[in-house]
Amino acid sequence: MSDAAAVDTRVDLGGIALRNPVLAASGTFGYGSEFEPFLDLRRLGGFVAKSLTLEPRAGNPPPRIAETPSGLLNAISLENVGVEAFIHQKLPAIPDGVTVIASVFETEIDRYAEVCKRLTGVARVAGIEINASCPHVKSGGIEFGQDPKLLAQLVRGARRATGLPLVIKLSPNVTDIAAMARVCEGEGANAVSLVNALQALEVDIETRRPVLSNVLGGLSGPAIRPLALRMVWQAARAVSIPVCGIGGIEGPADAVKFLLCGATAVQVGTSNYLDPGVAGQIADGIAAYAARHGVARLTDLVGALEGVPG
Amino acid sequence: MADALQPAGAAATRGLPTPVRTEAEVLACQPEGGANRRLVLRVPGWPGFAPGQFAMLSPGALGGAPRSDPLLPRPMAVYRAPGGDGEVEILFKVTGRGTRLLADALPGQRVRFVGPLGLAFADPEPEERAILVAGGTGIASLYALARRLARAGGPGVEVLLGARSGADLMGRDDFAALDVRLHTATEDGSEGSRGLVTALLEAALQEGAPARVYACGPTAMMRRVAELAAARDRPCVVSLENAMACGFGVCLGCAAPLRGGGFALVCRDGPVLDAAAVDWERMP
Repeated sequence: MSDAAAVDTRVDLGGIALRNPVLAASGTFGYGSEFEPFLDLRRLGGFVAKSLTLEPRAGNPPPRIAETPSGLLNAISLENVGVEAFIHQKLPAIPDGVTVIASVFETEIDRYAEVCKRLTGVARVAGIEINASCPHVKSGGIEFGQDPKLLAQLVRGARRATGLPLVIKLSPNVTDIAAMARVCEGEGANAVSLVNALQALEVDIETRRPVLSNVLGGLSGPAIRPLALRMVWQAARAVSIPVCGIGGIEGPADAVKFLLCGATAVQVGTSNYLDPGVAGQIADGIAAYAARHGVARLTDLVGALEGVPG
Repeated sequence: MADALQPAGAAATRGLPTPVRTEAEVLACQPEGGANRRLVLRVPGWPGFAPGQFAMLSPGALGGAPRSDPLLPRPMAVYRAPGGDGEVEILFKVTGRGTRLLADALPGQRVRFVGPLGLAFADPEPEERAILVAGGTGIASLYALARRLARAGGPGVEVLLGARSGADLMGRDDFAALDVRLHTATEDGSEGSRGLVTALLEAALQEGAPARVYACGPTAMMRRVAELAAARDRPCVVSLENAMACGFGVCLGCAAPLRGGGFALVCRDGPVLDAAAVDWERMP
């Protein structure tokens, strides 16, 4: 087996059929069409669009981003066009044959559910990813994804609102990621994706100020990859629903690591900024790896990590 | 493409080339005075550019040991593209690790290149003089415009360049070779008049003829240029240099606050923006 084209790359992410396991991550891929000059979107398994709120939302004042060692710190604050403009303006611009997962973000469960309802039945939406890393307004700002009870309520609300495949994107800002994944599975989620960005801080010692206007930001990029890999491995051992691995994937080798640690699919995030064609190369590279190692189906790599006791 | 006339307004949006994502070959990386460098690239599939557009360059050459630190590509103005065979010149200043690594790139090595990106400078109205004001690395953003306007004729092109010291005046000889009125200012007085380039602009605006001001440089400089132009009721456009991670409208990192509320993305809605639209008070 040495022909990458002969490898069966198809995977099923909780009812979302993907031609290969490589998705582009929400918040790093716009609404897809921004990448058309650089990449045939059909080479990807699909992409997760920018998180949507009920109403359009403006972001934070600058500075919004800062470079850190092998990482990117950002506090954009989920600027987006709103769910209606997404459905009526952004979705129709996406070429046929591209699998689109919508991402939903809100400050209250009812509002999350409403956005899910509006996306349900829209032809191009293959599934919904719930961004659970938003601070819950009524609970004094703690993230939905940091409190198992809040997370359970959120997943329950979203589950009632839609019959679409539901992927819950988990926050890494927790002590026990496996417990969070179990909560999602228990409330009927079809898959979990992890990790979202790590809460982080960077400081300018000349001005003695935080580098971001928002003070805290989310850290992404290769700097967080080993931590993300650990959390994916723990989550995948804890649940039987599929896990989608996210965190600092730069190339095919990184993606393969996530598959071996139990991820059914992966999302490429920050690397899309560095090279807008990289996600396509990663999809091709995984198949080449499989061919090189005599693996006929990529699903055979999922959770195939060896040398782990117990 | 570079010679297509663009309609008046802050930025030209029509007829811009489709950007390429590629690995460019380093042809040369030469000293350009002070901490400045002139990087000459061959960009496969280069579609041309319009003055004001920029490119994203990997922080240092690719190949050898893979490196993820520094991580992000650097936005840099396309200085000029002589020859039409994909040769592209970039003038930049070594300010940190990313630009240091880029300065160390050797001929034959490759850098990741995404561009040209962003909107372009619109031309002045036929009766308007063009006054180009640049400080520091902002000089690199205005050369292509100066060249195009000088060739187009019209009421005249005035170029005002400022830097800390004479050695820091990148591209000076290229501007001097154009049919423009060139004035320089340095903070240490080592070349041209001593002081800030904005003082040159005050003098240039004294002349009564209609003029359009184009500026690129440090935020404080551009803000002062915007004030001076507004005080004389002259249209003014600026090319902003906010930090950005992608360059094509998805990271949303380069937001510039607008006076009417909300933000413009420097990469997608600029880098060329109407100076009067920018909320300078809230610019970082």
